[in-house]
Amino acid sequence: MIRAALNRLIGMLTVMLLVVTIVFVIVRVTPGDPAAVMLGPEATAQDIEDLRARLGLDGSLIEQFGSYVAGIAQGDLGQSIFLGQSVGTALWQRAEPTFFLTVFSLLIAMVIALPVGIASAYWRGSLFDQTMTTLAMLAASVPSFWLGLLLIQSFAVSFGWFPASGYGGPGTTLLERLHHLVLPAVTLGVVSSALIMRFTRASMLDVLNDDYVRTARSKGMTEWRVVLKHALKNALIPILTVIGLTAALLISGAIVTETVFGLPGVGNLIVSAVLRRDYPVIQGALLIVAGLYVLVNFLIDMLYLLVDPRVRY
Amino acid sequence: MAGTVSIAGQEPNLMMRLVSRPTALAGLVVLVVVSLAALLAPWLSTHAPGQLSIVNRLTPPGSAYLMGTDDLGRDIFSRVLYSGRTSLMVGFLVVGVASVIGIFLGLIAGFFRKADAPVSRLIDAMMAFPDILLAIALVAALGPSAANVVLALGIVYAPRLARVVRASTLVIRELPYVEAARALAVPTPVILVRHVLRNVTSPLLVQATFIFANAILAEAGLSFLGVGISPDIPTWGTMISTGRQFMSTAGWIMLFPGLAIVVTVLALQLLGDGLRDLLDPRLAKDI
Amino acid sequence: MHRFKIALVLGAAALSLTAPATAQEKGGVIKVATIGEPPTLDPMTSTADLVGIITQHMYETLYTFDANWAATPLLAAELPEVSGDGLVYTIPLRQGITFHDGSDMTAEDVVASLERWMKIATRGKQTAERIAGIEAADDHTVRITLKEPYAPLVSLLSLNNSAAIVLPSEIAGEDEIKEPVGTGPYKMKERKPDQYIDLVRFDEYKSRDGEPNGYGGGRMQYADGIVFTPVPDPNTRVEGAVAGQYDYIDSIPVESHQRIVDGRTEPVMLAPFGWPVFVMNTKEGVNSDLKVRKAIQAALAPQDMLMAAFGTEDFFKAEGAMYPDSYVWHTEAGTDAYKPGGDTEAAKALLAESSYDGSPLRILTSRQYEFHYTMAQVAAEYLKAAGFDVQLDVVEWATLTQRRTDPALWDIYITHSPFLPEPSLTGIMSDSSPGWWVSDNKHKVLAAFNSEADPAKRAELWADVQQAVYDEVPAYKVGNFNAVGAQSPKLKGMRPAPWPYFWNAWLEK
Repeated sequence: MIRAALNRLIGMLTVMLLVVTIVFVIVRVTPGDPAAVMLGPEATAQDIEDLRARLGLDGSLIEQFGSYVAGIAQGDLGQSIFLGQSVGTALWQRAEPTFFLTVFSLLIAMVIALPVGIASAYWRGSLFDQTMTTLAMLAASVPSFWLGLLLIQSFAVSFGWFPASGYGGPGTTLLERLHHLVLPAVTLGVVSSALIMRFTRASMLDVLNDDYVRTARSKGMTEWRVVLKHALKNALIPILTVIGLTAALLISGAIVTETVFGLPGVGNLIVSAVLRRDYPVIQGALLIVAGLYVLVNFLIDMLYLLVDPRVRY
Repeated sequence: MAGTVSIAGQEPNLMMRLVSRPTALAGLVVLVVVSLAALLAPWLSTHAPGQLSIVNRLTPPGSAYLMGTDDLGRDIFSRVLYSGRTSLMVGFLVVGVASVIGIFLGLIAGFFRKADAPVSRLIDAMMAFPDILLAIALVAALGPSAANVVLALGIVYAPRLARVVRASTLVIRELPYVEAARALAVPTPVILVRHVLRNVTSPLLVQATFIFANAILAEAGLSFLGVGISPDIPTWGTMISTGRQFMSTAGWIMLFPGLAIVVTVLALQLLGDGLRDLLDPRLAKDI
Repeated sequence: MHRFKIALVLGAAALSLTAPATAQEKGGVIKVATIGEPPTLDPMTSTADLVGIITQHMYETLYTFDANWAATPLLAAELPEVSGDGLVYTIPLRQGITFHDGSDMTAEDVVASLERWMKIATRGKQTAERIAGIEAADDHTVRITLKEPYAPLVSLLSLNNSAAIVLPSEIAGEDEIKEPVGTGPYKMKERKPDQYIDLVRFDEYKSRDGEPNGYGGGRMQYADGIVFTPVPDPNTRVEGAVAGQYDYIDSIPVESHQRIVDGRTEPVMLAPFGWPVFVMNTKEGVNSDLKVRKAIQAALAPQDMLMAAFGTEDFFKAEGAMYPDSYVWHTEAGTDAYKPGGDTEAAKALLAESSYDGSPLRILTSRQYEFHYTMAQVAAEYLKAAGFDVQLDVVEWATLTQRRTDPALWDIYITHSPFLPEPSLTGIMSDSSPGWWVSDNKHKVLAAFNSEADPAKRAELWADVQQAVYDEVPAYKVGNFNAVGAQSPKLKGMRPAPWPYFWNAWLEK
C-alpha cells in the first residue's frame, strides 16, 4: 500500500511538472503585449520597447522559464503587470466571491438534484422520471451566460429584486455582498444540477436492486425508510464523488458566470488577465486552478487507498 | 471494463432500436431538422445573411423579418440559419480533431506498456485544466480564428476520448484473437486498426455525441467572452455576443440564436443518451 | 501671452452665466461607474482616457484647460512668461502647495517631475527633443528652455493623459510609482483592483481662488469622497444606471438612451466628444499608394457607418472638418473629398488608376469599443462595392496595440480620439506613430504651425495642415460623435467634459 501511495505521489508530481510546463508554453506563445495595453492609444514602438524592458519582458524565453520555475518553487507567483499587487494577493482578494459562488451554486444544485434524482430512480421509467431526465438534459443544454443574461433581464432589470452586477462597493456588509450572488448562483446551480441529478439517479438505481435493500423491504420496513436510510446511505459515496468533481467543474462555469455578472472573482480575473495580457496573472491562475485539481484528485485517490487497499488503479 | 467491448454485428439494427426509444428518436429527428435547415440555408433564408440595411436596424420580429434585425439591419432568421452551418461545422470538426488526437494517444497508451505511463500523465495534466479555461488560454495563444477555435477545443476534449480508447484497448489487447494476430506477426498498425479500433467505435460514438454538444456550447462561451471566433463570421455564439448589448432594447437578437443552441444541444444530448443505453450498458448506469 | 489671459476672463464670464441655481452641499460619497479597470494609475505612462479621468483627482499639472479649452494655470501661479524669441518659458509656481504625504511642493519637485515626464511619457518624449533644459530658477520658479519655438508646449503641460503631473522629487526619481502622492483635491484611500478605487477629500488641499472654470479655477471639494467602480460591460453599466446604483456612469451605448431617460438617472451628453478614425498604413502594403488611399476616401460612406454605430443623428454628425465649428480650429479646407454618402463610381475609377492588385485590404479592429467594429463592418461593404477585397482582422485591443506597430501586418486600423485642445497632438502628426505618415509637405505645413505663437495665425495655418491630411489621406476621419453618460438627479455641479471630473460636484440630500 505504501508503494502504491508512493507511485501515486510520483505520478502526481509528474503531472504537476507537466502542468507547469504547459502553462508556461501556452502563455508565452500568446501574441499581444501588456506594455502596449498599459501605454494607451498613442504610444510609440520605442515607448513599448522601453516599458517591456522595465517589466522584464525582454529576457530570453529560457531565462523567463528559469525565473518562473524558481519563483514557483519558492511559492512566489510573481507580480501582476497591471494591478500593482502580487499575483498571490490578486488571487486571494478575489477568492471570496468565487468561493461563495461555488458553495451556493453547489447547494442550489444539490437541493434541486438530490430529491429529483432519488425520486426518478424510485419511479424508474415513469412519466415523472422521463420528464425529469429530459429537464435535466435541458438544463445542461442552456449556455450559462445566456441563462444569466435572461435572469438579469427579468429579475434584476424588470423586477429590480437583485443587483444586475458587481459585488458591492467599499464598506458593504457580507449580507449585501451575498445579495449580489443570488442570480449568479442560481444560474450556475441550475446548469450544474443536471449532472448531479443524473448521477444520483444512476447510483440509486444501482443500490435499489441490491440484496440488502430487498432484505430491508422483506423485513417490512416502510418504503420511505428503505429508500432514504438504506439505499441513499449506500449510494452516497459515488454521489459525493460526483459532487466533488462538480465543484471542480464549477470553476469552469464560474469563469463565464462571473464575467456575465461582473463579479470580481478568480474567473473574472483570468478573463481580464487574458484580454490585457497580464502574463504573471494568467500563469498564476492557471497554475493554481489546475494544481488544486491535481491535488484534490490525489487526495481522493489516497482516501480510496485507505478505504480499500485492494484498489490498484 | 469488459462491458465496453461491443460485439460486432450489433450495428445494423442500431437504427431500429433507436426508434424504440422516444426521447432518443426525438433527438435524432430534431438534429436532422436542424442540420437540414443549416444545409438548405441558401434556399430557406429570406435575406442574404450579410446584407446590411441601416434604415431597418433593430426591427422587431414581424412579417418583413421573421426574427427581426440586428444593429446593422441584417435579418436574424437568415443569420440563424447560416450560423447553424458554422456552429454545426465547428462541433463536427472539433469531434474530428479530438478523435484524431484522442484515438492516437489512447491507442498508444493502451497498447504499448512502456508508453502508458508518460502518455497517461500527459492526459492527466491536460484534464487538470477546466475546459473553458484551457480553451481560452489556447485560443488566446493561437489567435482568434475559426480554425484555431476548432483546434483548441479539439485539444481540450481529446483527453476524454483518449481515456475511453485507452481503457478499451487495455482490455482488447488481452483478447485471444488479438493475441493470436500478434503471434502471427501481423503488423501492429494493422492490429490496432482492424481489431482494436473497430471495437472501440461504440464508446467513441457515445463520447463523440457529447463532445459535439459541449463544443457547440463552448464555442458560444468563447465568443461571448470575446476570445472566440472572429465576430464577423456568423455563429450562434457570435450572434449572442453581438446581441448582448441590445439585450434590453432588442432582445430578439440574442434570443433566437440562444434558442437554436438549446434545441441543438438538447437534441444531441438526448441522442447521446439513447446511444449510450443501447451501445454501452455499463456506462449507462454510471451517469 | 496676454491673449491667454483674455481667454481666461472670457471663460470665467461664460461660466458665471450658467452658474448653478441651487446651493452647494458638503458631504457624501460620489459613486462613479467607469468603463473598466485602469491599466495603470500612473497618468504619465498612459494616454488612455480612463487613466486620466481617475488620476486627475489625485495628481495635478502645472496648467490645465478652462471652459473654452484655453490653457489656464493650475499648480503654476500664472501662464508662463515667454521670451521674445519664443525659446525661454519662465513658470512661476504657487506657494504653500502640500503633497498628500505632507511635504511642500517646490521647484525641485517640478523639475524632477518634468524630467520623469520627458523620460517616460509618450508626449513628454516627443517634447523632449525640442527642450534644451529645465531648471529651477528659484524655489518657486521653473524655467524651460527650448531649442526652437514650439507653440503646443503649454497645452502639452495641461493634458491629463500622458500627463506632466507634479510628484514629490523622490517619487519622480523612480520609474514606477509605488504610493500615489499628488497635490490633487482627493487622495487614495484604498484600491481593490477590479472592485473599486476609493478616494477621499485631501483636507490640506489648497484650491485656487475664484470660480471654477472648466478644469481650471477653484476646485471646491464638496464631496467627502469619490469611489470609482469598474463596470466593463456597457450593458451592465446601463442596468446600473437604470437602477440608480451609481451617481455617475461613464460611456453608455446610445441605443440605451431611452432606457436611461425612463430610469432613475438622467442621460448627459457631451456633444461633440470626438472622432472615429481609420488610420492608413502609408509605409507598406496596398495603402502605401496614395491612389489607393484616395479610392478608400471616396468609397467610404460615413453617414451609414455612423448611423450603424450611433443609431440616430442625435448622437453623431457626418462632418469632414477635423474640428467642429465650436473650436477655433474649425475649417473646411480640403473637405470636398469627404463624401457623406460615399462615391462608389469615383472610388472605382481611382482604384483602376492605382497599383491595387486585388490583394485583401486588411482592416485591423477590436471590439473594445463596439462602434469601431460596427463601422468596420459597414465600411467593408462599401469597400467591396468599390472593388476592394476586404479582410476584417478582429482582435483584442491588447493584440491590436501590438500589431499596429508592425507595418507588415495591417493596412487600416480603427481608433478614435477626443477633440484635443491642441491639434498638433493628434496621432498622425507624429512621424513615428503607427501609419508612419511622412512627407515633405507634411513637414512644411506642420513646422509652420508649430512654431507660430500667435493663436489667430495658428488657426489659419491649421487649414494648411488639414488640407494636407485630405490630400495625402494618412487617415480617414469618419465624423463627429457624442459621448453619452448618465448621472443621478441628485448629483449637481457637473459640467459635460471629455474627462469627467467631480471636484466641483455635490450630492443633494
